[in-house]
Amino acid sequence: VIRERWQAWWQSRLPRTDTLRLGQRNIYILPTRAGLMFAATVLILLVTSINFQLNLGYALTFLLAGSALVSMHQTHNNLRGLNLQLRPPADTTQGEATPLEILLSQGLGGKGLQARYGIGLRLVNAPEETRVWADLPDSGPSLTQLQCLQTRRGVHPLDAVHIETRFPMGLFRAWAIWRPASTVWVYPRPEADPPPIPAGQALDGGASSRPSNREDAGDLTGVRPYRAGDPPQRLAWKKAAAAMATGSELISRCSDGLEAGEVWLDEADCAGLALEQRLSRLAGWALAIQRGDAAGAAGVAGLAGVAPRFGLRLIHTPPIAPGEGMAHLQGVMRALAQVKA
Amino acid sequence: MNAATQALKRLPRDARDTLFLLAVIASVSLPHWFYLPLWCSALSAVVIFWRGFLAWRSAPLPGRWTVVLVLCVVLGLTTMSHGNLIGREPGLTLAVSLLALKTLELRARRDTFVVFFFGFFLLLAQFLRSQSLVMALGALISVWGLLTGLVLAHMPLGSPALSLAARYAARMALMGTPIMIALFLVFPRIGPLWGVPGADVGGTGLSNSMRMGSMAEIALDDSIALRLRFFGPRPNPQGLYFRGPVLADFDGQQWRPLRPRFDPTDQPMANLQLRGPVVEYEMTAEPSSLSSLPLLEATDAITTNTDPPLVRTTDLQWVRPAPMTERARLRATAHLSFAHGPQEFVLGLQDYIELPAGYNPRTLQWAADLRNQPEMTNASPQVLAGAVLNHIRTAGFSYTLAPGLYGVDSPTGGIDEFWLDRRRGFCEHFASAFVVVMRAMDVPARVVTGFLGADDRETDGFTVVRNSAAHAWAEYWQPGVGWVRADPTAAVAPERVERNQRLRAAPGPVAQVLAQVDPQTLMTLRLGWEAVNNRWNQWVLNYSSTQQFNLLRDVGFDAPSWETLAQVFAFGVAGVTLLGIGVSYLQARRVPPWQRELRKWRQATARLGLQWADHEGPLLIAERLQSRFHTAAPAPTNAQAYETPPGMTTPKPAKEPAAPSAASSEAPPATPPAPPSADPWPAASDHSTANSGVPTVPQTVAHLVRLLHALNQSRYGPNPMTRPDARLTRAFIDHARQLKRLLAAHPRAPAKDGPPSAQRFPSDS
Repeated sequence: VIRERWQAWWQSRLPRTDTLRLGQRNIYILPTRAGLMFAATVLILLVTSINFQLNLGYALTFLLAGSALVSMHQTHNNLRGLNLQLRPPADTTQGEATPLEILLSQGLGGKGLQARYGIGLRLVNAPEETRVWADLPDSGPSLTQLQCLQTRRGVHPLDAVHIETRFPMGLFRAWAIWRPASTVWVYPRPEADPPPIPAGQALDGGASSRPSNREDAGDLTGVRPYRAGDPPQRLAWKKAAAAMATGSELISRCSDGLEAGEVWLDEADCAGLALEQRLSRLAGWALAIQRGDAAGAAGVAGLAGVAPRFGLRLIHTPPIAPGEGMAHLQGVMRALAQVKA
Repeated sequence: MNAATQALKRLPRDARDTLFLLAVIASVSLPHWFYLPLWCSALSAVVIFWRGFLAWRSAPLPGRWTVVLVLCVVLGLTTMSHGNLIGREPGLTLAVSLLALKTLELRARRDTFVVFFFGFFLLLAQFLRSQSLVMALGALISVWGLLTGLVLAHMPLGSPALSLAARYAARMALMGTPIMIALFLVFPRIGPLWGVPGADVGGTGLSNSMRMGSMAEIALDDSIALRLRFFGPRPNPQGLYFRGPVLADFDGQQWRPLRPRFDPTDQPMANLQLRGPVVEYEMTAEPSSLSSLPLLEATDAITTNTDPPLVRTTDLQWVRPAPMTERARLRATAHLSFAHGPQEFVLGLQDYIELPAGYNPRTLQWAADLRNQPEMTNASPQVLAGAVLNHIRTAGFSYTLAPGLYGVDSPTGGIDEFWLDRRRGFCEHFASAFVVVMRAMDVPARVVTGFLGADDRETDGFTVVRNSAAHAWAEYWQPGVGWVRADPTAAVAPERVERNQRLRAAPGPVAQVLAQVDPQTLMTLRLGWEAVNNRWNQWVLNYSSTQQFNLLRDVGFDAPSWETLAQVFAFGVAGVTLLGIGVSYLQARRVPPWQRELRKWRQATARLGLQWADHEGPLLIAERLQSRFHTAAPAPTNAQAYETPPGMTTPKPAKEPAAPSAASSEAPPATPPAPPSADPWPAASDHSTANSGVPTVPQTVAHLVRLLHALNQSRYGPNPMTRPDARLTRAFIDHARQLKRLLAAHPRAPAKDGPPSAQRFPSDS
């Protein structure tokens, strides 16, 4: 516990930055367990050499000690002058891993250019097995990807990254801890198969009413499997008879090529659910609309096959006016992500 | 061969690494295989080979129980071979077996460390057996292999080339070498912390006792026992006797040093009388388990200080309190012609006629018979000795290194069997029988062991005495003279003594092949090799506290002691540490050359009132400069003129084209590069005079723009330079200064009615 608190305190002192150049000030180095074993070995060799007065034994012992000393510097040098650059992380959803793309490159100038091997990166709190290795054999940069699992909704600072190397002899471990400045947006997990958007939420106006009229008018050209909520008048009854006989699923008729309507995604529609589930459902709706899989919307406004413009109404925050496109979706999702529990 | 490397390349990385590690393990174990019990060597080799086969085929490893079973077998066999599991030899047997068995659960990378540490133990252990140059070179290769394996284990990505890892390992070892040398020179050589290496050092060689037949083993040992360097004329090497342990106590089986029964006052004195010229020499003696140092007969004084001091005993041995566990070097004087021993009979001489009761009755009878011959009744010991030697010469004795064992049938009749029945033997048989016969005739006599003769030729200024020159001879006491040397081996095999035919075993098949080679060539090769080896011994293996102090004295310490050594050590460590801190401090503060250079450019533009942010390239600044001063951008062709020609590191710009008019709004045409002038970047003042008049603002601006393009070329162009060209910077600063002067002279600068493009850079105005 003390160790954890100490580490937390220590990390909190590190400035957050998206690019980091490793140098004397931010690289730590300590012997590894293998290094301590090596020291013990050298000590035993030394005692043996003294006891048996083996001059060659002395030579061997001191050669090993010298090599170990050099390897310490090389381990440190393996990180020194390394530039780390974080690419802005993409938004992600709860329960998924964000790929953190980190560009490792040789620093400019004096200690910059040199071959570097066996640089391991992982998140500070992640287990050892998640470490990702990178080599920089020449002047070119190297792109590594860390998977950062997001469990909490909202906008978070990224976890600190742990950069470590034991190259070349594994007797010393040089490491640095980097706190990236970027933040990551974590959307609520969208409900996998949300129910249709409840009726009555379609916006007033021609855009929403007209297509349903046209659909009602029989301008139905295609079919698709029945989904809960499809109005009975749109069932393909002839096929339904056959389907009932064989036990297969019902078929709905659907329309295509209709103009998009506008839909409100309203938190009030998800009454009775817990907050996270509400957000989850709203996110599911938003995604469904964006995918063009407007089944839910179709149930309300008779829209199908088209992404309607949609807005978001939350209980405690000002609504987002209807819109469309990726940027709009992002805005909606971020708004959902930011809802306070 | 080629196919093999191809196949090796196709192997998966783990398999390749494992094979490499196995090769290293084999090379570490190899020197031990020659000394260990046969089963251990065979097991180790077979297991390593089998593991290699498994790796090659990517076959699964054997189960844990198999390994445990083999381990139990190993423990059992070790106990059988050595009697126990504790001690050096059983330990080594176990270590070599375990290292081989470890490979059976070797999952390449993770287990490298275990192999690594085990490997270093075994490397050091092989030095216990031999510290020769060949061993050292072999060990060096093994160290390299081990380090390479370790580096390989820490390159987790992809399939790095072995050669790359080997290069890194070599680099580390090379960079570590200065540290090694410094530590080797300065690290205090303290004595053994506990125990004594004792009999382990110099397993063969002279010993403190003599049993008939024991010396045959030494005869096969051609290694070097002593090295001598003579100051002054070199005596005939064949006649040199080196006096080792004197053995006078015979129990019927074995000769041992005498335990006197009489008071020291009654014992025979050394009474050394020197004759003839003095021989001064320096000697290096290999370590041995003896406390007696075999010196040239008769050495009267040792002129160097030895620690602990050597003392001469009454029987002319030079002894020290403890065995010589390290190589000893000393200087001494000797006289080859001498006499010693009491002139008159003293009580202590009684010890030298003692014979064990009940042993060798027939020999005693034979001696009595000789003594009772009429002409021998009052004969002096000298006459008696002459008669015995004559008997040896004429009674069909023969000299052989393989006489078989004596005293097997009748333990009390070993000498009888030799003296009367078989009559075949070598020096120790003859010396021992001679002394027994002399004692049987009441003549005090004793056995002396040591070396006889040295190599004919000097190697590297040294005369070499080999272990195979070990010899045993006799001394008897003659009233009025003292102790007289008698070498009965000379009587039977004069060539052994006179022509220095050393104890030599029957040649084996290998030796027969070698004999086909021209012996002269062989000898030359051998001598050259021994010269190298001698240097190795003198400089590396012989390096001890004495040499350390000498080194300190050479460096300038007056009275070096352990404290000085410790001080040098501590100051050295502190100095190196401080140096390291200084270097890394400077490195951390060092600004990369390009950054330093660009900073100067930025300062120059800042003086002109032009902002140049860190991330902006020179072309942007050129553009900004032009828009600021109302000149059009030069066509890219202009920049082409400054392009670095391939193969040249310094951009050689075209000479400044004489701008025809002040309003050179049009970019100058792509002028072909003029022949490079002596100064490619003329200073602004030169430029102005060359232009026959004061340069105009646009001219200077055009020049600055051109310089910026040149900078861009050398920094970001297709062949970027690693180091900035300072002349470019100087020219730029000069021109910028000139521009500033011009602007000061004409305060109504043309930028006043700035072009619309200038609004793009609000910071400029």
